[in-house]
Amino acid sequence: MSSKVHDNDLYGTNFSVESIKVIAESIGIANLQDEAAKELSDEISFRLKHIIQDAAKFMHHGKRAKLMPTDIDCALRAKNIEPQHGFQSSEYLPFRFASGGGRELHFLEEAEVDLNDLIQNSNPKAPYEVTLRTHWLSIDGIQPTIPENPPPASKAMQKLESVDPINKKPQKETSGKPTTGKQKLKNIETVQIKQLATHELSVEQQLYYKEITEACVGSDEARRGEALQSLASDPGLHEMLPRMCTFIIEGVRVNVVQNNLALLIYLMRMVKALLDNQSLYLEKYLHELIPAVTTCIVSKQLCTRPEFDNHWALRDFASRLMAQICKNFNTSTNNIQTRITRMFTNALNQGDKMPLSSMYGALQALSELGPEVVRIFVLPRVKIIGSCIEHHLEGPTISNVDKIASGHIKQLIIKSLVPVLKSVRSPPDYIEEYKQDYGYFGASLNAGVLKARTQPNMTALTTCSNVNTPSSITSVASTISRPLATPTIIQQNNISGRTIVMNPGVGRVATQGTNQKIVFVTQRSQSSTVQNQNQQTPSTQQNTVVKLVSSSTTPVQHKIVNSQQKMVFVGMQNNTTVNNQTSGLLSPGSQQNMSFMMQKNNVNSHKIINDSFSHIDDLSHME
Amino acid sequence: MSNAQQSVTQQSTGAEEINKAQLAAVLQILKKYNLKNTEELLKKEANISDGIGTQGTLQKDSNVNSVLTGYKSDGDPETYANSYRELKFFVEDSLDIYKHELGMILYPVLVHMYLELVYNGHSEKAVALMNSFGPEQDTYYQEDLKKLAMVTKREHMSGNELADTFKSNQFIIRMSRDTLSLLKRHLNDKKASVLLNIIQEHLYFDMYEGVARNKSQIDATSGAVGGEAKRQDNKAKVYYGIPKAPDIQTLAAPVEEEEGEGGEQDNPEKKYMILKKKKAKKDPLFSKKTKSDPNAPPPDRIPAPDLKDNDKLEKVKAIREASRRVTLGQETQLSVCCYTLLNSNNTVCCAEITEDSSMLAVGFNDCIVKVWSLVPQKLKALKSAQQLQDVNIDAEDLMVRIMNERSGEVSRTLTGHSGPVYSVSFSPDRTLLLSCSEDSTIRMWSLQMWTCLVVYKGHLFPVWDVKFSPLGYYFATASHDRTARLWATDHYSPLRLFAGHFSDVDCIQFHPNSNYVATGSSDRRVCLWDCTTGNHVRLMTGHKAPIHSLAFSTCGRFLSSSGADCRVLIWDLSHGHLVAELTGHEKPVHTLAFSRCGNILCSGGLDCSLKVWDFSKITEDISSEEVNVSHNPDVKTGDQYLLRDFATKSSPLIHLHFTRRNLLLAVATFDGSNP
Repeated sequence: MSSKVHDNDLYGTNFSVESIKVIAESIGIANLQDEAAKELSDEISFRLKHIIQDAAKFMHHGKRAKLMPTDIDCALRAKNIEPQHGFQSSEYLPFRFASGGGRELHFLEEAEVDLNDLIQNSNPKAPYEVTLRTHWLSIDGIQPTIPENPPPASKAMQKLESVDPINKKPQKETSGKPTTGKQKLKNIETVQIKQLATHELSVEQQLYYKEITEACVGSDEARRGEALQSLASDPGLHEMLPRMCTFIIEGVRVNVVQNNLALLIYLMRMVKALLDNQSLYLEKYLHELIPAVTTCIVSKQLCTRPEFDNHWALRDFASRLMAQICKNFNTSTNNIQTRITRMFTNALNQGDKMPLSSMYGALQALSELGPEVVRIFVLPRVKIIGSCIEHHLEGPTISNVDKIASGHIKQLIIKSLVPVLKSVRSPPDYIEEYKQDYGYFGASLNAGVLKARTQPNMTALTTCSNVNTPSSITSVASTISRPLATPTIIQQNNISGRTIVMNPGVGRVATQGTNQKIVFVTQRSQSSTVQNQNQQTPSTQQNTVVKLVSSSTTPVQHKIVNSQQKMVFVGMQNNTTVNNQTSGLLSPGSQQNMSFMMQKNNVNSHKIINDSFSHIDDLSHME
Repeated sequence: MSNAQQSVTQQSTGAEEINKAQLAAVLQILKKYNLKNTEELLKKEANISDGIGTQGTLQKDSNVNSVLTGYKSDGDPETYANSYRELKFFVEDSLDIYKHELGMILYPVLVHMYLELVYNGHSEKAVALMNSFGPEQDTYYQEDLKKLAMVTKREHMSGNELADTFKSNQFIIRMSRDTLSLLKRHLNDKKASVLLNIIQEHLYFDMYEGVARNKSQIDATSGAVGGEAKRQDNKAKVYYGIPKAPDIQTLAAPVEEEEGEGGEQDNPEKKYMILKKKKAKKDPLFSKKTKSDPNAPPPDRIPAPDLKDNDKLEKVKAIREASRRVTLGQETQLSVCCYTLLNSNNTVCCAEITEDSSMLAVGFNDCIVKVWSLVPQKLKALKSAQQLQDVNIDAEDLMVRIMNERSGEVSRTLTGHSGPVYSVSFSPDRTLLLSCSEDSTIRMWSLQMWTCLVVYKGHLFPVWDVKFSPLGYYFATASHDRTARLWATDHYSPLRLFAGHFSDVDCIQFHPNSNYVATGSSDRRVCLWDCTTGNHVRLMTGHKAPIHSLAFSTCGRFLSSSGADCRVLIWDLSHGHLVAELTGHEKPVHTLAFSRCGNILCSGGLDCSLKVWDFSKITEDISSEEVNVSHNPDVKTGDQYLLRDFATKSSPLIHLHFTRRNLLLAVATFDGSNP
C-alpha cells in the first residue's frame, strides 16, 4: 500500500496518491482530485507516523522488541482517539506480495470468518497460565548445563571450531569457566601458548560417557530410553561428541561381524538421538557416521539367522536415518544427498553379484529419499531387479533365505513404486503395457496402481505407515532379542567408589537407595577394577560361553570373564592390544544379551569390514 | 569582542522583558477563557497591577503570537541552504582544536533552519535542506531528525513534541571562550542575518575557560534533546551520602523497659526476643557504627515516618542476615538464581522482588498484577471481620493471629487496573504494593487483604514507573505527561511535581537516603531532583536514546543508567560528571542492580544476557583521579570492567535483585518464538 519515494531520504515512506484514491473509492468518493489526495496522503502519513512513534513507547515499556496491536490502541487512547477493535496479533504477519504492470503490492491476506462456524464451534482454548520456573543461571560463577540454560557452545561456535580450529579462542575470561589463578600470574610475564583443542574430559564427563554408552547398549530398555532421551536433549554434549561417534562407529564395525542385530539397532537409535539433539554440530562427524549407517542398510548379513530375524526393520530404520541426515545436512557445497543417492544407485547397478539383502537395503534407502528419487533411479531398473528375484520366487526353492529376501524386495518395490506410477502414468492401465515396461513386477504393479486409483486414501495410508516412528523399531528390537531380563545393577557395598550423576535429568542413580552404583572410568588402571569385579562375580559362573569379538586373525589378547552370554568389551584407548578385561556382573541366571564392544586398532577393524563387505566396498566410502 | 559582550548583556535584559511579555500573554489567555480567580491570583503573585494587564491587552494578539511563534522570519528561503553551507565550511576550515566544538552548532542550526522554513511555508526548501544535510549529522541525532522530518506543515508543528521543544527552549552548547569568540567573529564578518537570528534566539552558549574539548569528550555528553547541561545545573550541593542508620540499640531500649515491667509474665517467645536483643547489644555488628558521612544529609532533612516495633524487628533481622553476606569481587564468583516466567508470550511488563526476597510481583499487559511467594511461607489473607473480633488484641503475635491460616496460596492475582501495568513496587514493610498503569492511575494494594486500598489520580497520561521510598510512606511516579511526581501514601494529591523533561519520564529511582529522586527520560537526560525543594540539582546528558533503567550505587555517590542505546553509563553525583561507559549489550538494557556490598553492578536486557561489571574497580580508578566542577574526567570505557557474561535461553531479563546475602535473583520471560 505504501510506496517508497526515495531510497535514502529521511522521510522514509508516505502513502502514495494512488493508495489514497483507492481508499477514497472504497468509501464512495469517486473522483478525488490529485491535489486533495496529495494533501490527504501527507496528512495521513504524518498522523500515522505519529501514532506509531508513540506506540513504540508503549512497546518499550512493555519490555518487548515487537510492536503489538495493543500498543497502537494505547497510543490512540493517549491521543483521545477511539482505539481500533478486533485486531489480533498473530505470531507473525504474513504479508503477501503481488506485482504486475510494474507495480508492487504488499497486502495482508485475511480469511473470511464464517459466523456460523464461530458460533457452533466450542470455545477456543484458554491460554496457558503464566508459571514460574526456578533454576540456577550460575553457581559460583559456573553456568550449569541444564535444559533451562543455553548450550555452553552454540552451534555456530562448534561450526567455527570445526572449520577453523586455530581460531578457537582460549576460553574467554568473561564466559564459560571462571577465571582462577589469574591473580597469581599477574606479575609473571606469561607467554600464551595456543592450544589447538583440548580433548580432556572431566571425570564427570567420563562417567557420564560410560553411563550413557552402557545404558544405550545394555539390556534395560527403560534405562536405554532415559539415556537416549539425554543424548537427544542434553545441551552440553559437544565435548563428548567425538567419543560418542567413535563408540557408534566402532560398535557397528564389530557387531556387523558378529551379526549382532540387537546391538546394531541400539547403535542406530543412538545415531537417531544425536541427530535429534538441536545443540550439536554434527557435520563434523558425518563422514564417520554415514558409512556406519550405510553399513546397517546394505550389509549382506546383519543377524545370525537370516531366515528368522527381522533384520529388515534395521535396514528400514537406518534408511530413515539416512534420509534424515540428507534432509538436515544437505547443502550446496557438500552435496550429501547427491552423493548418497549415487552410492546406492551404483550398488543397484551391480546386478546379480549383489546379495538380495543388500539390494533390499539400497532400494529402501532410495525410496526413503522421496518419490522423485524413486522415479529417476529405481523405476528404470525395475525390470532388471525383477529378473533377479523372479527365479527365487517362482522357481524351485533353492534357498529359503533368498526367497524371503525376494519377497521383501517385491513388497518394497510395490509399496514405493505404486504412488510414483500413479502420478507418472495416466490411465487406462493395461496389464500388458506394465508387463512390458516393468517385467516381472508388471502385474502386481498394475494391480496396485489400479487399486490406488480407485481408493485414493489407501495410498496415503500406505505411505503413512511407511514413515514409521522410532518406537516401532523399539518393539521390533525387543522381539528380536531374546527375552530381556529385569534390570540388573552392579552392586557394591564396601567399595569407596563415587557416585556421580552427570545429568540430573537421568536421575537413575539417585533411586538406588543404599546400594551404591559404581562406575568405572576406563582410563583408570584396570587391575583394581578387575579385582573388584571378581569379588562381586556371582558364583554361578560355570558353563558360561564367551564369544570373542574378532573372528579374524588379529592377535588381540582377551581375558575373559564370563557370564552366560557373549561379552565384548570396549576400551576407549586406541592402543593395539587391549588386554582385556572383565565384564559387568550380572545377576545369576539372567538371560542377558549384554555386550560390550572392544575397539581395536583401526587396521584390524578395517580388515574385518573389508572381508565381510567387499561387495559394498565402494559404498562405505563417500567418495 | 565588544559585540559579544553586548549581546550577552542584551540577553540578560531581554530575559526580563520576555518574562513580562509572557506573563501578559498568560493573563490574556486566562481572560479569554474567563478564569477570573486564577487571573487575579496570578496578578497578585507576580505583583502586576491592573495597569500592566490592560497595557497587555492593548498590545493584544501580536503579543500572544510573538510568544507562541518564535519562527516568524522574512528571510529569503533561498539563503538558508547557502548560509548553512557557509557555516559548514567555516567549521571544517577552522583549526583542529576548535573544529569539534564549533561543529556542535551545526545540528541545532540545521534543525532551526528547517523549522523556520516549514513554519514560513517553504516545505519544499525545508525538505531539500534536510535531505542534503541531515544524513551527515552525528548518528545519535539521526533518530530525532527522522522524527522532525515528519513535520512538513506549519499545522503539524504545534503539538509535535520535538518541534515544540526546539521552539520553546534554547539549545545549550558548552564552548570554551576561544571557540566562542572565534564563532562570534565569523558571524560578525558574514552578516548572515538568518544564521545570526537563529544563533541569538535559539542557542545558548555556556562558556567556560580552558582548552576546547576534543571529539570524544563532546560525544560523551552530547546527544540529549535540549543540548548539554549547563554548568549552573550541576552546581548545587548534593548530599549524596547515606545518613547513619537510626540506632537500633536505642530503639530497642524501650522494648526492654517494657519487658522489665511485665517481667513476671512467662512468655517464652518474648524471652527469646529479649535474648536476641541482649545478644544484639554485644554484637560487634551494632557497635561498629560507621562514622557519619560528611556528605550525608541531616537525618531530619526529610520527615520520616516513625518506626513501628515490627519495622525494628525487621531491621535487626536484615542486619543479622547482612552479616552472613558474601562479599563479591573478582575472586568470589556470583551465583545467580533465575526465575523464568513461562507461557508469558509478550504479556509481562514488569517485575519486582521485595527487599527480603520473599515475594515477587509481576505486572501484566492484561491489567493484572500477580504476586508469587518465593519462600515456603504461603501468601495468607486477613481473617474476616467476624473472626477478627475474636482475636486477642493484646496478644504478642497479633500479626500472626490475624491471618487466616487456611488461606495460604502460592500466588495471588490483583485485578483493578484498566490498562497494562507498567511498574510495581513493594513497600519496605511488605504490606503494601503500588502499581502504575497505562490508565494513568496508581493503585495501592494491601498484601494482607489482597484488595486495592487507594487509587491515586493525578497524572494525565500513562504512568511509566512507580517506586516506593526506602523509608516507606513516600513514593514517586514518572509519566508520559513529562512530569515526575512525589506522593505520600496518605495524600490524594502529589507533594511535589518535578517538571522540566522535554519528553516522557521513563523511569524513576529513589536515592538510598530518600532525599532525592533520579529520573530518566526519553529526552535522553538523567535528572536528579531534591525532594525537599522540588528543584533539579543535577542534569546529566550523554545517553543517545531513551533511558529505561536507573540504579544508585550502594554508597549513594554514583548513579548508573541504561537504556535503548544499549549502554550502561555511570555518573558521579558529586559533580554530575559522566565517569564510565559500559558497552557490550546488543539490545536495550532494562534492568540494573548493584550488589549489596557495592562491588558489582549487574545489567540485563532484551539481548538475553546478564552482564556482571566490576564496579569496585571503576570507583578505584575514579578516586585516583582529581575532579572538579569544570574539569570533566576522562570517561572510562572498555571490556576491562566486564567480569562475566551469562546468557539465558532466549529469555529477556526484566528484573534483577540482590538478596541480603548477595545472591542475585533474576526475573526473565521465556520467549519461545525465537529459540
